[in-house]
Amino acid sequence: MSVTGFLRKFLLLEMMQGMWVTLKNQFRPHITVEYPKETVEFAPRFRGVPRLRKDPATGEELCVSCLLCEAICPTECISIVSEKRPDGKGKQLVSFTINYERCCFCGLCVDPCPTKPITAIYMSHDYELAGYDRDAYVTAREELVDGKPAKLYTR
Amino acid sequence: MSDALVRNLAIPLAQVLVVLGVASGAVAYMTLIERKILAFMQLRLSPRRVGPHGILQPIADGIKLLIKEDITPTRADKLLFTLAPILTVLPAFTALSLIPFSGGGKFTLFGYEFFPWIADVNVGVVFLLAISSLGIYGIMLGGWASNSKYPMLGALRSAAQMVSYEVPFGFSIIGVLMLSGTASMVGIVEAQRQAHLWYFAPQCLGLFVFFVSGVAETNRLPFDLPEAEAELVAGFHTEYTGMKFAFFMLAEYVSMMVIASIVTTLFFGGWLRPFPNVAALGWLNFGLDHLHPALPGFVWFGLKTFLVLFVYLWLRGTFPRYRYDQLMNLGWFWMIPLSIANVVLTGAVVLLVAR
Repeated sequence: MSVTGFLRKFLLLEMMQGMWVTLKNQFRPHITVEYPKETVEFAPRFRGVPRLRKDPATGEELCVSCLLCEAICPTECISIVSEKRPDGKGKQLVSFTINYERCCFCGLCVDPCPTKPITAIYMSHDYELAGYDRDAYVTAREELVDGKPAKLYTR
Repeated sequence: MSDALVRNLAIPLAQVLVVLGVASGAVAYMTLIERKILAFMQLRLSPRRVGPHGILQPIADGIKLLIKEDITPTRADKLLFTLAPILTVLPAFTALSLIPFSGGGKFTLFGYEFFPWIADVNVGVVFLLAISSLGIYGIMLGGWASNSKYPMLGALRSAAQMVSYEVPFGFSIIGVLMLSGTASMVGIVEAQRQAHLWYFAPQCLGLFVFFVSGVAETNRLPFDLPEAEAELVAGFHTEYTGMKFAFFMLAEYVSMMVIASIVTTLFFGGWLRPFPNVAALGWLNFGLDHLHPALPGFVWFGLKTFLVLFVYLWLRGTFPRYRYDQLMNLGWFWMIPLSIANVVLTGAVVLLVAR
C-alpha cells in the first residue's frame, strides 16, 4: 500500500467524504411531494382508470357495443351486455362493467375503439382507487360515464 | 423539617426529580430531532402531522405506546421479563447523577445552597464506567426471560458486543485522568479551565476511541446489531411490546445523552465557554452571568452535548451497519490497541513535561 493510500485509510478520509455528503444534504430543500395536499403533474397519456365518454357535442353515449375492447382486454375485466335496437339497426348498450380489481391499466381497450377520433372508452387520470369492499371496484356504466368526475391532476 | 433532613434528603430529591424530568423530556424530543435530522439527510420531510412541524409527535408516540397491549409470552419468566426493562433504564438514569451540568457558582434557594449537579464523587469516572456496564444485565435478562430463541441469541450477541467495547471505553478515559490528575467529573472540568486547554486536543486519539466505543456501547448505528431489525429480525427485545419496549428505547436514548455528556465533560470542557480565561470574550456568556454565574454554563453544556448528539445522528444517517465479525474485529483489533497506545503515549508525554 502506498503512503497516501495508507494515510487515506488511517485518517478515515473516505468516511469523512461520506459524512460530508450527508451534512450537505441537511441544508438542501426536500424533494418529497406531500401527496394528499399536492400531487405531481402527469404526462398527458398517463393511464389511470379506464372510463366511458359521452359525445361532447351531442351528449349521447359514444359506445356502439362492438365488443372490441372486451375482446382485446388481457385480464378480461370488461364485460358488455347489449341488445338489438328496436328499429333493427345496430346494437344498443345494456350494461358496461369494468372490474378494477383485475384491470392492469394497459390501455389496450382504447386502441381498437372504433368511435374515432373521440374514443368511447379512454384512460382517465383517476388513480385514487381505495375502496372498503370488493364491490367498490366493480364499476357499472352509469358510474363510468357520469360517476366520479374525471379530474386532470395538476399541481 | 430539620435542617439536616432538608440538606440531605429534600434538596437531593428535588434535584433528582428535576434531572429526571428534564432528561425524560429531552429523550422524548430527541426522538423527534433524530427523525427530523435523518429525514433532512435523506431529502425527506419529517413527521409534520401532529402539531406545527410535528412538535407534538413525541406526545402522540407516548400515548400510543401507553395504550398498546402489553404482551407477556407464555411460559416466560414473568418477574424477570418485567424487571429487565427497569434494570436497563435504572443504570442509564443513575449515570446522569454524576454529570456536572454547570459550574461557576452555587444556587441559593430558601436559604439552602446547592450545586448545579447531583453528586460530585471523587471517583466519578470510575463509578460511571461501573454503572454503564450494568445495562447489560437488563438486556441479558430480557433476552433470557422471553422464552424464545431469537431474543436469547440477540441478548448473547448484545452482551458480547457491549462487553468487548467496555474495555476500550474504559481505557480511553485513562489519558484524561492522567492529564487532569483527578477522577471527579467537576475536577476534570476545573483542570481543563486551569490548563487553558480542552482535552480533545491532546487526547484526540482517546476521544476517537471513547466516542466510537460509546456508540457501540449504546447500540447505536453503525453498531446497532442488538436491534438489527432489517436483517436479523430484531434482537433481545423481540418479545417486548408497548411500554416495556419503550423502556428499552428510553434506556438507549438516555445512555446516548450520558455518553454525550461525558464526552462534553471529559474532552470539551464541560460547562466552560470557549477560552474561559480570556476576559475579552466575556460576551460569550450572553450576559447571563449577571443574573447568576452558573447560568451560561447550562447553555454551553447543552450546546456541546447537543452537538455530540448530532454527530451520533449524523453517523446513523451516513454509515451502513457493520457485520458482526467486523464489529468484533474493530473492537478487539483496533479499539483496544489504540486505547492502550493512547495511555502509553499520554504517560510518556506527561512524564517528559513533568520533568
